[in-house]
Amino acid sequence: MGLLQPESGLLFWMCLAFGVVLFLLCKFGFPIILRAIEQRREYIDNSLEEARGAREETLQLKQESMHIIEDAQAQRWRILENTRAEQEQLAHQLKEKAEKEAAGIIESARMEALAQKEAILREANEHVVSLAIAVAGKVLMQELKEPQAQEKLARKLMDKVNNTQN
Amino acid sequence: METLGILGATIGAALAVIGAGFGIGKIGKAAMEAIGRQPEAADKVRTTMIIVAALIEGVALFAVAVCFMAL
Amino acid sequence: MGYGRKIFNWIVLSALALALVLELPVRAHAHGEGGDVIVKDIVLEHIGDSYEWHIGKFVGKHVAIPLPVIVCSRENGWKCFSSSHLHGGHSYEGFHIATEGAYAGKVVETLPDGSQVRPWDLSITKTVAGLLINSTIVVLLILGAARHYRKRRITDSAPMGLAGLVEMLVESLVDGIIKPCVGPNYRKFAPYLLTAFTFIFINNIMGIIPIFPAGTNITGNIAATFVLAMATFLVTNLFGTRHYWKEVLWPEVPTWLKVPLPIMPAIEIIGLFTKPFALMIRLFANIMAGHSVILILICIVFVTARMGATVNTSMSIVSILLGIFMNCMELLVAFLQAYVFTMLSSVFIGMAQEGAGHHEKKNDIDNLTTKR
Repeated sequence: MGLLQPESGLLFWMCLAFGVVLFLLCKFGFPIILRAIEQRREYIDNSLEEARGAREETLQLKQESMHIIEDAQAQRWRILENTRAEQEQLAHQLKEKAEKEAAGIIESARMEALAQKEAILREANEHVVSLAIAVAGKVLMQELKEPQAQEKLARKLMDKVNNTQN
Repeated sequence: METLGILGATIGAALAVIGAGFGIGKIGKAAMEAIGRQPEAADKVRTTMIIVAALIEGVALFAVAVCFMAL
Repeated sequence: MGYGRKIFNWIVLSALALALVLELPVRAHAHGEGGDVIVKDIVLEHIGDSYEWHIGKFVGKHVAIPLPVIVCSRENGWKCFSSSHLHGGHSYEGFHIATEGAYAGKVVETLPDGSQVRPWDLSITKTVAGLLINSTIVVLLILGAARHYRKRRITDSAPMGLAGLVEMLVESLVDGIIKPCVGPNYRKFAPYLLTAFTFIFINNIMGIIPIFPAGTNITGNIAATFVLAMATFLVTNLFGTRHYWKEVLWPEVPTWLKVPLPIMPAIEIIGLFTKPFALMIRLFANIMAGHSVILILICIVFVTARMGATVNTSMSIVSILLGIFMNCMELLVAFLQAYVFTMLSSVFIGMAQEGAGHHEKKNDIDNLTTKR
């Protein structure tokens, strides 16, 4: 029975002690701890959110860079292709030009050769003609001892010359 | 007479303890089964179990307190 | 796993040491009165209060710390003197400690006409001294942790050591019981509930430790639990919502239960008081019973001292083993009772905080509590 009767002195001290503890802890203790815990929780949440955002951003950047690399690759191919085409064209042109020149040279060479041949032929003709004239003169000298024959021959010759010239 | 009072008080306390033990045992059994069936609700079941056990214990403690007064 | 086992070993060893130390006052008592061990007296001496703090008997000498006696005499007003003046039944300025009667063990005043009355007694008894020590520990613990936070920024890492321990405790209590039980405005009540938890827990733990600055039975004293339960009662009812009071005074039950005879309101109003009363008795009885059981188990050693060496040795081993077990059990109970007190306080406060929103849940809990 005695155990179940609160002692007044003890009640007083208990009220005092618990009251002081309650006041101190409710004023300076637990609110600070609770706030700190809450703030840190918020901070961690925010950090997680930020990390997720950063990760997405990185992914996007990566994709963008991939795009850029792909573009560059394509451009490179295109440039290479262009260059090759140009080169080919140039080579073609050069070849054409060279061929043309070569053709021109050959033509002129042939022309010259032709001209030379003609000149040689002409010379030879002249030689032959002069030789023939000389021979003919000699022959004529022998045969044309008579004036008639001379004249006859002259006419004949003249006709002949005329025929050949025509 | 004094001795009889003490005897009565102790028997009373024993009876109260038997009742409380039985009751809390049943709560424990039910809680175990509930947790076994739904382990994801273990926290809620435990909380409710403690509250209900505390209520039963409260009754038993009243009985013990009464016995104490009779002692 | 290895770590857990190490902790377990450590707990067992310390419990063993505690059990051995616990023997000291018992042994002193046993030899003080002609070797006859009266278990009930030993238990009651520990659970009860005294004007001096008996530490133990060393080298045949009782060591006790005298504490101040503060009394208000009917004749001469307030008096304050050391309890060593009253030691051994001596009388000082008309005061002495009664040995029998209604005031046995308390300071009484002998009036000039020879009658003995109990003065207003605000003495710093053993329990009060222990209470003050434990309160200081609680305040230092929590304010130390709070100071730790004041110096830090949020971006710092989580605290270690003491503040980390306090934070873990606070976080688990707030998330585990306070937030779900109290409801949306738990922020307002969390400091009170956490204070109650810390206070009860520290006092429980200090009650289990048997050596000097600890070892006082505070939460196993009805006055302490009365004040704690009263605090919960006041917090619950002073901050109760209108809906709560309506539920108490005009509950939603058939009218015949309310009109001619206010049966349900009467039950509800009785329920207002039985709830904190149960809190008070529960904490008191659990802690007191735990202390009693440990003491009784250790007393077996001395009770069997006269029964021969064999019986005494075997029973001593049994009693020490059981004592270790009970000490471990009491560690659990120390936490559990603080937890249960906090949880039930949260539930009561939450019931008084509920608006019309959580009607059904409230009725459920109400039914449970009023069935008592």
